[in-house]
Amino acid sequence: MEALTPDKIPRAQQVISILWPSFICAIVASGIFFSAFNPKELIPFNLDIDISPLAAYSIGFLLFWILAIVSSMGTLYFTISNCRVLRKQGN
Amino acid sequence: MPVQQADNNDNPLYVAHQKIYPRVASGRFARLRVLSILTLLGIYYVTPLLQWNDRQAILFDLPARKFYLFGLTLWPQDFIYLAALLILAGLSLFFFTALLGRVWCGYACPQTVWTEAYLWMERKIEGNRSKRMKLDKAPTSASKIRIKLLKHTIWITFSLWTGFTFVAYFTPINELANNLFTGNLGPWEMFWILFYSLATYGNAGFMREQVCMYMCPYARFQSAMFDSDTLIVAYHPERGDPRGSRRRGTDPKEVGLGDCIDCNLCVQVCPTGIDIRDGLQYECIACSACIDACDEIMDKMKYPRGLIDYTTENSARGEPQHILRPRILVYATILLVLCGLLLTHISQRIALDLDVIRDRNTLYRETRDGLIENVYTLKILNMDSSSHQYSLWADGIDGLKLVSDQPELIVEAGAVYETVVRLQADEFNMEERSVPVRFHLQAIEANHLTIVEEARFVGPGKK
Repeated sequence: MEALTPDKIPRAQQVISILWPSFICAIVASGIFFSAFNPKELIPFNLDIDISPLAAYSIGFLLFWILAIVSSMGTLYFTISNCRVLRKQGN
Repeated sequence: MPVQQADNNDNPLYVAHQKIYPRVASGRFARLRVLSILTLLGIYYVTPLLQWNDRQAILFDLPARKFYLFGLTLWPQDFIYLAALLILAGLSLFFFTALLGRVWCGYACPQTVWTEAYLWMERKIEGNRSKRMKLDKAPTSASKIRIKLLKHTIWITFSLWTGFTFVAYFTPINELANNLFTGNLGPWEMFWILFYSLATYGNAGFMREQVCMYMCPYARFQSAMFDSDTLIVAYHPERGDPRGSRRRGTDPKEVGLGDCIDCNLCVQVCPTGIDIRDGLQYECIACSACIDACDEIMDKMKYPRGLIDYTTENSARGEPQHILRPRILVYATILLVLCGLLLTHISQRIALDLDVIRDRNTLYRETRDGLIENVYTLKILNMDSSSHQYSLWADGIDGLKLVSDQPELIVEAGAVYETVVRLQADEFNMEERSVPVRFHLQAIEANHLTIVEEARFVGPGKK
């Protein structure tokens, strides 16, 4: 049987393996970040931005999620492309 | 060794998914599971409805940055408690896993709880296992569409209720319900209700056991907490094999068979679609459905129960079991110590905080009476659940005087109060140019609410 390598993981599982760990990381990151900083005090230069707390927390969470998604995507991308390179080299 | 690891050569991790139609199991463990699931669902849906002194009993009040837990109000600076709680939860998972195996997976994990709830609805609408399989294979027809439509409508309704309840942990449920029915729901509240509903619908309706197999980190590392005395669900091959069907009332020894009649019910009831007779497998969430299914068959065959049962590797091998073993004792000790520390810390927590900020614009000034004066801004945070009047004084220099324009210091419950005070001292009593002073704040009629905060008093220096 041919060895299973990450590039043969079905697409759906690849997507989940990106979204899910980043989701957990985003929860932890927002928890720590927003305990330390009040979003109300983060608006720079006294800009007149009228934003509800829930919106601020939500956007913060989504930003953390996107950040973690990008990182996870990078990991998966390199894992898969490394598999292909190694295969080409005959390993 | 009777309890063997399943052969993992044909790695099932990345195979294309085949839908699993678990058959319903009934028996003592199934009853225990239903009880556990109903209790946990009850807690989840009822908690936001509980009230405590005119407010929701458990509420993460995001706008106010407070977390209400019955009588306790936690502030962002109490984040450490939340972190400690998470560590405690993790440690309890270690402890219970070492002791009882994957009891969390089978009885308490939200994934299991909601999957069972959704399976129950599916069963009520589509019928038992064979009916469900037949329905899915059947060509599209009006009645199939009607049944599927009904199932998804009910699933989605339940999901929306779940999502609504989730948001009600962050927005008071009365307000949320009111906003919902008057069409004033904020966009983000709407977003989170839909987000959580969709996640519930997807996880409990479709992904089910795949969440345990592909997404759950615990399923992957739980084996590290296992030892030979951990409770596992196992088939006893020395008793069951060789398997084979036989007539009821046959003595298996006469026909050269073991006790397993190879009815496959243990496979049919399995929510993760494995065959427990292949040995211990990481897909097994220890739900014990196969135990109930097998016991029922054993009863019918008039064989003793327990061909599949809760056991430990040691007891399956006929060796003595140890409940108290180093691993358990270490986990238990750490758990108890941390619990004790947390409770002590919370019980001794002073629901009062004082922030002293020296006026940065002027170092000091001289009063008309020739005293040196420093100005401070005080921020008083009353974290208690009732309002208090406070007395404030300072010491550190002989004859230090505290002057305030505020005759009375009253801070409402949960409020931050800002006030400016002046300290006056004779420069002859100052040893150095800059001397540490202490502000004392104490609640009148609640003497345990007292706090001391240090600051610096600056003068011209000794002449």
